[in-house]
Amino acid sequence: MSEKIDEPIEPRRISRIGAKAIIRGVFKHKLSRAGIVIIFLLTFMAVFAPFLAPYNPNTQDLYQVLTGPSAAHWLGTDNVGRDLLSRIIYGSRVSMAVGILSTFFSAFVGVVIGLLAGYKGGIVDMILMRIVDTFMCIPWLPFVLVLAAALGPGLKNIVIALSFLGWTGFCRIMRGQVLMVRELPYVEAAKAAGASGFRIMFKHLFPNCLAPIIVAVTITLGAFIMVESAMAFFGLGVQPPTASWGKELRTGYAYLETVPFFSIAPGIMITLAVLAFNFLGDGLRDSLDPRLRGEGKKIK
Amino acid sequence: MRKYILERLIYTVILLFLVSILIFVMVRMLPGDPVSFAAMANSDLADKTIMAELRARYGLDKPIYTQYVIWLKDFIRGEWGKSIGSGEPVMTMFLDRLPVTIELFLGATFWSFLIGFPVGIFGALRRNTPLDAFLTTTSIIGVSIPAFWEGIVFIYLFAVIFQIFPPSGYVAFFESPWENILSVFMPTFIMGTGSAGLLARYVRSSFLEVLNQDFIRTARAKGVKGPGVIRKHALKPAMLPVVTVIGLSWAQLVSGAFIVEFMFAIPGLGRMGIDAVFARDFPVLQVVLVIVALNVLLMNLFVDLLYGYLDPRVRVQR
Repeated sequence: MSEKIDEPIEPRRISRIGAKAIIRGVFKHKLSRAGIVIIFLLTFMAVFAPFLAPYNPNTQDLYQVLTGPSAAHWLGTDNVGRDLLSRIIYGSRVSMAVGILSTFFSAFVGVVIGLLAGYKGGIVDMILMRIVDTFMCIPWLPFVLVLAAALGPGLKNIVIALSFLGWTGFCRIMRGQVLMVRELPYVEAAKAAGASGFRIMFKHLFPNCLAPIIVAVTITLGAFIMVESAMAFFGLGVQPPTASWGKELRTGYAYLETVPFFSIAPGIMITLAVLAFNFLGDGLRDSLDPRLRGEGKKIK
Repeated sequence: MRKYILERLIYTVILLFLVSILIFVMVRMLPGDPVSFAAMANSDLADKTIMAELRARYGLDKPIYTQYVIWLKDFIRGEWGKSIGSGEPVMTMFLDRLPVTIELFLGATFWSFLIGFPVGIFGALRRNTPLDAFLTTTSIIGVSIPAFWEGIVFIYLFAVIFQIFPPSGYVAFFESPWENILSVFMPTFIMGTGSAGLLARYVRSSFLEVLNQDFIRTARAKGVKGPGVIRKHALKPAMLPVVTVIGLSWAQLVSGAFIVEFMFAIPGLGRMGIDAVFARDFPVLQVVLVIVALNVLLMNLFVDLLYGYLDPRVRVQR
């Protein structure tokens, strides 16, 4: 069904569109420029958290509980007197780690299986795509909750749960691209020259199918950050005392009436992160799609 | 067309079968079996012979594929078992909660259409103007805002500061229609914004595509005025791809319902599912997950059929 939705981008080698042109396109796009800045800041925050955080995120001060913003604690303290700003700064580590790792694994598995299904065709394709279809008709949240509950808490298990359900989207996109590219003359030429299936898949098909995968990677990154916080919100996130945005938000939710900032601040971070990746994805899609750049002819 | 319908039907049944296996295995992967969970809650049960008897009664001592076959047979016959936690028949629980979730779905669809269509159409008509940029940005924001955070902000604004809506709870329509609407107003809006953003983006791109077609230029050339072109000529063909998005956002609404029912303490299927996850209530959890998948499958089937009906090319292709 979503084959009709994921509008195919004309299969072209990224290098042929030109990395420079893509970067220029992304920076020309106002929204994606904003996205890049936010992503850069978040990454900076995650990497240099120990230097940026004013306090240790796990030090409790039971005399300073739920203070609300003050000069000493810019965002206030949580219910056991930990500095909220520090916890939010450290929380970026969990979100970025989960987002990057689960997207990487999903994309890896999805791309390989998609290549295989698209290139081999026939019965292999049919079986693999039925498996993908099965996964595709299950909504992510209920299933990720069950998986997370089954695997137990912890960053590793969150990544496993997300990758287990996340690879199918990449697989679909990859297969769709391969089906278009494999009919092109140069693939035929490679075959005629005696290239092995492996070589054709990874040397000829893969680089030419990459454009929509890049867009999907960006958008999936944002989506996974959102799912991770949703899981933490349901109490299935990383183990305490590790700080994560979703967990802060959940704890803060209980004190919404007295210290609204406790839950609203981590929510702003989650929204910003998701938004940044979606903005970047939008810019990438526009600059990778020749139709939207106003050059190249219309493809149908 | 008949062949196409038949094909789609068979395909849906096969997928449902595969999904049910996947669900069954996933649920069984949950650590700790429900009987020991129930025993922890109720010390009367914490006896080895009673626990073994209970396991035998629920068939938990048999190999997993036997359990699956038994479960599938019972499920098809409508014998959905009893909740291990409360002892209530799962079918009764399901039928009690179904109308609540259906109301949420309808409400969310209402919001998503009300916002998504106008935003998308205006964006397309005013392409590359500040208005278009604003609307596009808004729809990306709509897609990106996590429902649970949106919920918190809304509760804080409209239930804590301005006390317009109740912060949580659900009142049945037949008890008090007005309070019912108040109690689902925020939850449905939150569920709807995500799909509204998605819908707006697809409506916009689909309209742009159609507005570039020759027949629109022809219509304009023969003197059809602006709104007439949209209504008479552009709307119908532009709806084609949009149909699939509606199907796609249906799956998203399921996730939305889980979050919203959890936040607002609404006794629907989502809440039932989440409670079942934490209580390891296998019979309930399995039914909820299968129904959720069935819901998405049926929507996909409907979309496929509608697509086949609207676009003859899809039918012939097969």
